[in-house]
Parts: sequence; structure tokens; C-alpha cells
Amino acid sequence: MANSPANTGAPKGIVLNIQHFSTHDGPGMRTTVFLKGCTLRCKWCSNPESIQPKPELAYNLRKCIGKDQCGFCLKECPEFAIFNVDSDTKVRVNWDLCTNCGKCVPVCPPQALYLFGQEMTVDQVLDEVEQDSSFYRESGGGITLSGGECQLQADFAAALLAGAHQRGINTAIETAFNVPWSHVEKVLPHVDTVLHDIKLTLPERHRKWTGVDNTRIRENLKRAYEAFPDKTFIARTPLIPGVNDDEEHIRATLEFIKPHKNVVDYGLLPYMRFGESKYGFLGKVYEMQDFEPPSPESLARLRAIIDEAFGRSGGGTQT
Amino acid sequence: MKRIAINCGGNYVPGLNAVITGTVLAAHELGWEVVGIRDGFDGLLFPERYPGGGLLTLTPQLLENCSASGGAILGNATRTDPFRVRQVNTENMVEEVDRSGELIANIAAEKIDAVIPIVGPQALSILFRLHRQGLRTVCVPTSVENDVAVTQLSFGFNSALSFAVEMLERVRQAAQSAQKIGVVEVLGEHAGWLALQAGIAVCADAVLIPEIPYDLQKVASRLQEKHQAGRASGLVVVAEGAMPRDGQETIGEAVAPDSLKASLSPGATGEGGSHVIERSGRAAQAVARQLQRLTDQATYPLVLGPLVKGGPPTAVDRQLGLGYGAGAVRALDEDRSGVMVAFQPPDLKFVPLAEAINQVRTVPASSLFIQIARSLGIALGN
Repeated sequence: MANSPANTGAPKGIVLNIQHFSTHDGPGMRTTVFLKGCTLRCKWCSNPESIQPKPELAYNLRKCIGKDQCGFCLKECPEFAIFNVDSDTKVRVNWDLCTNCGKCVPVCPPQALYLFGQEMTVDQVLDEVEQDSSFYRESGGGITLSGGECQLQADFAAALLAGAHQRGINTAIETAFNVPWSHVEKVLPHVDTVLHDIKLTLPERHRKWTGVDNTRIRENLKRAYEAFPDKTFIARTPLIPGVNDDEEHIRATLEFIKPHKNVVDYGLLPYMRFGESKYGFLGKVYEMQDFEPPSPESLARLRAIIDEAFGRSGGGTQT
Repeated sequence: MKRIAINCGGNYVPGLNAVITGTVLAAHELGWEVVGIRDGFDGLLFPERYPGGGLLTLTPQLLENCSASGGAILGNATRTDPFRVRQVNTENMVEEVDRSGELIANIAAEKIDAVIPIVGPQALSILFRLHRQGLRTVCVPTSVENDVAVTQLSFGFNSALSFAVEMLERVRQAAQSAQKIGVVEVLGEHAGWLALQAGIAVCADAVLIPEIPYDLQKVASRLQEKHQAGRASGLVVVAEGAMPRDGQETIGEAVAPDSLKASLSPGATGEGGSHVIERSGRAAQAVARQLQRLTDQATYPLVLGPLVKGGPPTAVDRQLGLGYGAGAVRALDEDRSGVMVAFQPPDLKFVPLAEAINQVRTVPASSLFIQIARSLGIALGN
């Protein structure tokens, strides 16, 4: 499977980032480990650097000290992908030629050229995560695996979560469930809280906005709710104006999750243009330029529907 | 050489059919067969999508009168890069796959000896990579912004220019009757050719281009002079990549884009990593609001944007397109490959792709057009 680099052999994985003191990725204060690789291509993705499973080159022009003082990358690139322009001395990257070989990275002293993603062992990750353990005890937090799609690197994710449990650390994952069931079977036994997306209701609309229809996702969700009754599930919808910020989607999602008592909440994540600048670092096009975050009024209206369904008077938990 | 193929890159540009016609007619004269690949390389990468097949046999009879019309008989691909083809795998997971080897094999299997792609500056890089992998190719440059390096004129530019001029005249008339300052944004992410040449053609009051960071105070002074002389309206042309001089205030979040972005990929490496063009219309909006503040005259922003990419080709683009198509066939007949046809007056030349990539043809400070604009009293914001 070309998309799952860490599914065979020793449990090493490609880690994008370890973010400390997260407060929105599960209960309490958490350390979020972003695993690289995703199986969807949501047009609103706020983590474009997490999409490709392999490490990929990024470039911050602001840090480049220019060809007059440096210029090693120009000689190192075998693909002619780094070049100069007339207007200044800083180099540019031609992303259509770049193959992400990474040869330019070690010869860039100011680290203007760098790689998103690095291979790590389970212990390397957990040793860093465990540094925050005192905060977990105080807040009821723990480790959260995010992505990309953290279940894509199923063996690595399972080893990380099992290792966290062994160290007494609470576990959570953020997932969209667009993976084979065999991945779910490996990962979920080691998870305490499952934060999962329900992005769109209709299969064809799901395909249009994320790249695949949601048939398998819904099958996986139902199966997971039933196969893991002791796990806590929290459904979430990234709320994208004009795409899924309608009552119909919210009510359809509630209808889908409510029969399952282990789905304890449904949160709305208002679309923000957080990831936009990162597309620039990767030479990618952000396709949602003309979308604005949802209005407070529409957010409040939709949240009220959820509060009512969960028997809350309003202002309930919104993960 | 017996069988060649032609295809079109990502965008419709007036004159595509002219290039195709030029290629087919010139190839026919040599006794060669020409097939068109539908929708970029999709016709060969996804033949199952096309009930009649991904290739279209092109004959002089089929293309009769085609060069005079708009449209593109072969269709376009919205950026199918054979090195990163997005597809859903057997596990229902989306992934990007390098299918360049398969593409080249498919080309060989179809007994296609060479490909003539009609492409803009971005796709030139992709063709360069394919050529390095063994594809025999002669590229034809297209760009409504005229920013392909080493050619004086990309086809499509003249049609865009003509339409922009027509629209600017209309805006001027509207501005005159409304007694306002019209601020019109035109395409030009890295290069200001379209804004500058259109602005000259209509004798605009000011033209702001990516190559010259602007000081709106100077533009405002110019407009105020004219206002005091009794003219209540104005016309300002802004390239979408125009930006204010360092440290100058812009309007709120509408930060003007960074013109120094000369990478060839979309949204690439501007200062701070932001997109160069945050969204269509922002440059016009920022300039219009600030000019209104500086001049106390009402302004209104308009965006021509991709409108100029539509419609039929002008006489210049028809000739150029036919010439480029025929020139590409001549290059193949001369056993050339890995080159781009370039108009370097008075000749059509064949330039190695390595010289055409990693460059953007921008307006030099010494350009004759800059001198003409200054002579006409057009403010350039510096």
C-alpha cells in the first residue's frame, strides 16, 4: 500500500510535529502528535503539510540569506528546482521540478529549506510526550494522535498508544476513519477517546469536497461504535460555509450518532483560514480563498440544535 | 517521424485552435499524422473517461475554419501533473502517484513519435522533466500575461490585451459619467505587461505593476492635479501582483501581494510564505480605498481577472498561433527536441527548455513601454 509507509517492519513512523499544551484535542491539557499522511484531500485542509505520507520540502524565503553569502542549495539540487531571480539574491523553489529528495536541506545554514516530517521511533515520541505528564495529571489530559489521518500509520499509531498506556498516559485520536477496518482494529483498542469527523452527509458531496465518498467512513463508524462500546466517541464537523453549515447536515449527523450511547458529544469546528500560509511554504494552491469563516449567528443556531439533541440548555461542550 | 501528438495545458487561451491548426496543416504537408490528446495528458492517463477514446485524430478537414473561432477542440486539463496524479487507490484512499513513466510508455504504445504541448510557464517545468525522462517534445508557449521567458510574445496575450483595452474604455466612460475614479485590476501576478500596455493604449491616469512598488501618494497627487484642472474622473489600472512600497500602509487585511515571487508554481514562496495573490480583486480594492482616502474623490474597484482569457483570438494571435504550430512541426522535422518555440523578432527560434524554465519575463526598468508611459504622463506610482 503506497500510502502507508510505516505499516510494515519496526514501529517507526513519519511524525510531522509534536505540539505541547493543546487544549482542543481531547480532554484536559494534551500533547498532540501529528502523524504524516492523509487519505482525504479536503479542500479546506488546515494542515496541508500533513497530507503527503513522506517528508516533503518546505521553503521560507524570509530566512534565506541569498546566493551571495551562501547559494549551496543551487549547486546541490539535482533537479534544477532551485534557482535565482533578477530582483533579489534569495533563491526560489520551482515546486514542479522538486522531487522532495531533501539534498538541499543539510546545506542550508539558515534552515530556510527544511523538511516537513521526520522518521521517529515510538520511544523517541513518547519520551518527549512524557515530559508533559505532570500537566496531564493536573488537567486529565494525555496524548492525542492527529494528522493527517493518524490511523494511516496503523502499526506505529497502535504502538504509540499502547506505549502511552503503559506509561500511564491517557490516549485520544483525531481521525476521519477513511482507512481499512484492519487499521481500526489495530488502533482503537489502545484509545480512550475517539474524536472523529463527520464532514458531509451525502456520498457524492463528500467525494466532491474531500476526494472520496463517505460510504466506508460511515460503515467504519457504525462498526466502531458497536465493536468498542467502552470507548468514548466525540463526533465533530469542520463547519465550512456553503458546504456543510446547514441544518440538514447537522440533523442528519445527529440522527446517525444519537442511537449510539458511547457517542457522548457532537462539536462544530468553525472553518478558519489557519492553514493558508502553509500552502505557500509548500508551493501549493489554497482552493478556499473566497471562503469566509461562518458567522457567529449561524454557528449559534446550529449549536442550539445540537444542544437540544443532547438535552442541554445551551452553551454545552463544544470540542 | 510519422505520427505526432498535440495537447493543451491547464487554461483556455484565445488561439489554442490556431496552434492546433498550424500544427496539423504543417504536419500534413510533410505527410505526418497528427492526433490530439484530450484534456492535457488525461486522454492518455485516463482513456476510460472518454467514450470515443482519449485521442482525437486531427485532419485539415476537421480543423477547417477552426483557427478563426474561440474554444479549444482538445479541451484543457486543470493541472494534471503526470508526476503527481491524484487518484483513489484500491483501499479508497486518495494519493498522488508518479505516472510519468506510464505516460511515456502509453505515448510509445500509441506509436506517437513526439508531442507538441501548448503550455504556460508552469507546465513548461513539467515538460522539462518529461523530456529528461525521454519524451520527445517541442513546446509552444502560451500566456495571457506574456510572462514566459525567452519569447517576446506568447500567444493569447494580444487577445487579452485587446479585450482589456476595450473594457478599460468602457470603464473610463462610466467613470466620466459618474465622476469617479475607476480602479481596474487586470491579470499580472509577476509581470505587468498586460496592465502597462493596456494602460498605455487607453492613456490611463496611472498604471501600477508588480515590477514597480507603488507610492499611492504620488498617484493621488497626479489625480488631484487633473481634478483641479477640471477633470472629475480618472482611470487607474492595477496588475493583480502590484504592491505598495515598503512600509506603506495598505487597507486592513487586504495586504497587497508580494511581487518578488518569481517562482513558477502557483502560490509559491512569497515573503512570509503567504500567497502572492490572496484573492482576485484585492489589489484593486486596496488601491481604490486608499486613493479615495487620499484624494477625497469617490473611487470604485473593478476586476477584469480571467474574463480576458475568454473569447476569440485577435488577428495577431491567429497568425502567431498558426506560426507557432507550424514552427513546432519544423523543429521536429529538424530533429529537435526539448525545446520551446520562441518569437524573437523577426524570427521564430527554438530555445532549450532549460533556458525557458525558472524565469519569468517581467517588465524591465529600461523597457520602452515604461518610457512611453512616462512620456504620456501616466503615473507609475514611483
